[in-house]
Amino acid sequence: MNKTLRNPYVYLLFVLPTLGLYGLFFVYPVLQSVFYGLTNWDGLTPAKYTGLDNFVKAFNDEDFWISVKNNMYFILFSLFVQVPLIILFSLLISGVKRLQGFYKTTVFLPSILSTSIIGILWGFMYHPSIGLFNNFLGWFGLEPIYWLSDTKWAMLSILVTNAWQWMGFYIVLVLAAILAIPKEINEAAEIDGATGFQRAYRITTPLIMPVISVVVMLSIAGAMRVVDIVLVMTNGGPAGATEVMASYMVNKALRYGQYGYGTALSIMIFVIALLLTAIYQIVFARRQERIEY
Amino acid sequence: MKKKLVTVTASVLVLSSVLSACGSGNKENNASPSASPAASPSASASPSEAASPAPVERFDVSLRHIQIGELQKFRKAILDEVVQKAEAEVPGANFEMDAVEDSFNRWTKLPAEMAAGNPPKIFDLFGGPGDGQKFARANKLLDLTPILDELGIKDKFTDFSTFIVDEKVYGLPIGASAEGWFYNKEILDANGIAAPQTLEELEAAFETLKGKGVTPIAMGSQAAWVPFMLLNTLIPRYAGDDIQAGVANGSRKMTEPEVVAALAKYKEWVDKGYFTKGELGIDYTGQTNEFVAGKAGFLFDGTWRVSTFNADGVGGALNGKVGYFAMPAVPGGKGDPTSVNYNQNNGYGFSADVNDNEKAAVKAFIKNLYTEEYQVRGFQEDGVLPSMKVDASKLTSDNSLMQQVLAINAAAGKVFPHFDSLVPGTVNGEFEKQIQNLIAGKATPEKAAEEIQKAMDAELAALK
Amino acid sequence: MPKVIKKILPHLVLLVYVFVILFPFVFVVFSSLKESNDQIVNAPFGFPVQMAFDNYADAWSQAKISKYFFNSAYLAVGSAVSSILIAAATAYALARMRIVKVSKAIYQFILLGMLIPGNVLFIAQYILIQKLGLLDTHWALYLPYTAGALPFSVLLIVAFMKAIPSEMEEAAIVDGLGVIRSFILIILPLTMPALVTVFIINLLGNWNEYLLANFFISKDALKTLPTGMVGFRDAFQTSYPLVFTGVVISVAPIIVIYAFLQRTIIEGLTAGSVKG
Repeated sequence: MNKTLRNPYVYLLFVLPTLGLYGLFFVYPVLQSVFYGLTNWDGLTPAKYTGLDNFVKAFNDEDFWISVKNNMYFILFSLFVQVPLIILFSLLISGVKRLQGFYKTTVFLPSILSTSIIGILWGFMYHPSIGLFNNFLGWFGLEPIYWLSDTKWAMLSILVTNAWQWMGFYIVLVLAAILAIPKEINEAAEIDGATGFQRAYRITTPLIMPVISVVVMLSIAGAMRVVDIVLVMTNGGPAGATEVMASYMVNKALRYGQYGYGTALSIMIFVIALLLTAIYQIVFARRQERIEY
Repeated sequence: MKKKLVTVTASVLVLSSVLSACGSGNKENNASPSASPAASPSASASPSEAASPAPVERFDVSLRHIQIGELQKFRKAILDEVVQKAEAEVPGANFEMDAVEDSFNRWTKLPAEMAAGNPPKIFDLFGGPGDGQKFARANKLLDLTPILDELGIKDKFTDFSTFIVDEKVYGLPIGASAEGWFYNKEILDANGIAAPQTLEELEAAFETLKGKGVTPIAMGSQAAWVPFMLLNTLIPRYAGDDIQAGVANGSRKMTEPEVVAALAKYKEWVDKGYFTKGELGIDYTGQTNEFVAGKAGFLFDGTWRVSTFNADGVGGALNGKVGYFAMPAVPGGKGDPTSVNYNQNNGYGFSADVNDNEKAAVKAFIKNLYTEEYQVRGFQEDGVLPSMKVDASKLTSDNSLMQQVLAINAAAGKVFPHFDSLVPGTVNGEFEKQIQNLIAGKATPEKAAEEIQKAMDAELAALK
Repeated sequence: MPKVIKKILPHLVLLVYVFVILFPFVFVVFSSLKESNDQIVNAPFGFPVQMAFDNYADAWSQAKISKYFFNSAYLAVGSAVSSILIAAATAYALARMRIVKVSKAIYQFILLGMLIPGNVLFIAQYILIQKLGLLDTHWALYLPYTAGALPFSVLLIVAFMKAIPSEMEEAAIVDGLGVIRSFILIILPLTMPALVTVFIINLLGNWNEYLLANFFISKDALKTLPTGMVGFRDAFQTSYPLVFTGVVISVAPIIVIYAFLQRTIIEGLTAGSVKG
């Protein structure tokens, strides 16, 4: 039997496609990035080795750090606005009997739309004259706000749209965990006189911590690579106010032909992601069961 | 540089004679809509190469253009016709059209394709060190000199200097344009404003309109090249007509007080609320739409916009109600107040990587597009000034707006180019960034000028 | 708190959320049936009066939405299926087969891929695709989509497969079942919930992908829905009703499909997340 499960040919057959694709589309590009990151390659003329110049430049590149900061907004917004709301709505949906299926189906709806369509859709929501929000402000006699063109509001507008798109997805995940909690636990607590709020806070929430940990992890990963929604809604504007790391990097490389610098930035982004993951592991995941081999 | 000015001025002079010709007898003709554009299949376009009867293999020729949407419909129609003719002439050729938005093509897609080595065979291209010349130096562009010689049209162009590297031609401007103020006569009349002659009157008009709740200047600065147009004319008014060339070759500086004064003037207009509210979130089409919808009094734009106000254009409702004038002189300015911005920096380039079949298709495309017929049609239908020497008698317009444009161009003592046709791409990018920062209140005029000069200094230092 | 309020309150809160979700859809459908920009500008939330159904015919013929839709659908499904199959096979080898040391190493190696935020490798991948001569073909999207989903998929499925007790499989193998058939007949069915979850997540990712699609594909005939629709918006932004119509046409089939599959989709996610 052990022999069957040690069949090296089958093993190779099963493992090689993954390793091949992984090698080609992850490992090779990473090595390539490190290589180009040390050069001044402009895409048109042969690359010249410039050592760590690009990285020194990146550290002093104010605009890059602004884009890093904008990615951090995505993370903070996820953690402190989205996640609490996700838990709240999940608890509420799990608590109702009527319409539960309807709520579940509806909240997931935005997640199936493509980001570019959501960008177009919400572009109209934020439209200065015909948009929902300014009409709403108009009812109260307030001045219209230029949501996507005001440097003060553009970031928040994108964050809200992003939350609208993805919250339902996470709600369905959390909801599943809540519904999987054995009913007896809650019933016992109810008999002991615990109120609905107490039960949610003291029993359900701790029990769903593992799935919340997954949600947080996915949110951070999503926030690190966010770019589509920004490209579609503001293209990094107004005046660079919503530029994120990925769009900044792509712009540097493609528009200005600074491929060397662009790939150096991609390595910086990778390092930042590693740091965040480490912080997350230390602060949050230590108490949880880690995904381990 | 001098040579270019001479040729450009020459072309302007040609236009002026045109204007005087049509200015006299055209008034009565205005009533009859004589310019029926579609019905002009000129005899000159007879296919010269006989189509071989033998079955030929089909091959695709990718063609990237930027004629997207309603606003560009006239130019798209010309392009479609040219493609048809070229396909008929080259057996098997199938032009595959790919429409991409202008700035996305120019700033992102085409540079990326150039680096990857797979640009389309034919593509919309800008001249200058940040675009065409850079690609030509990297051997990515087809040297057109032999084709032009063969077709005998090399000396037909008024000026393609921004497409030249080492005396070889790498791109062909499709047309020329100037930039100036358009205004909505109805709105000005309704508010008791006469067409402004001086900066004082212009600013007074802005103030009046603003007081009446009308947007003074339609502006969409989501893409920075749009507000850049206005600054590109404002700066030479303050700092002199050689400022673009001077900054590009290092003899002048962005930080000179006159340049800063121009930036400060622009900032003043921003602060006074003369531009469209939320301009940083509005794109070029949005800007045009606002003016077309009659919601703004003024628009600073290129002369290609003229056709928008044709009876059958998108802005047909404003037909006959739009006027045009040049940027007035500014107090103490060094620039010649009659000089205009004049560009022929946009056209088509061709990939260096073409086989014989594709080369034949490219040749047929050039042969059919760069003809007097289409230069005249582009002028008549679309308000694009010719980039080729055209029989002056054919350049008449019964469109009063076009006549104003021609008169102003004819009166111009000097012309000046766009910064982007002379400075490297990074400097242009810094310029665009600083303009948006200026608008967003994130940079002072002094700071913006400093940053642009810093980028320019870095490029100049790299050259040495 | 009276019992009635206690019962109604959650519904009130949830209905507000549902309203927030559905509102943009209603707004878009209404606007798509209006005749002109003016009607939209003057009464953005008003019910359309004349019901301009012609918009739909116009948008359909002008936008080639069917083509974009088809491209997106077969690329998204195709690469999601490919990655799930490849990932499942690899996960089986890593989780169930007894070549432990190698498996451990491979697992850690792939785990590293999870830490790389997507898009970071964009530039290098662009150069790679170009060198492979795949730019402007659907392979340029199919391969990166398939490959990009692998680390996440493998990790999740491994976790799942490890949790399956080994008795059944062992009994089957003793009965003479080969390793490939044991994988297909025993482990795969047991892993189905996780596979569905991973499949859906990958499918949504591919369906939405914009950055690569925008740069790797130039030919209009090959464009996917995300890039095609942005092009459509740019081309027809003078006519809001037409843009709205395009949005409706591109969204409607997805919603219909979702309506049919929502149980499977949501149950799939549910099952996967609870066990994973």
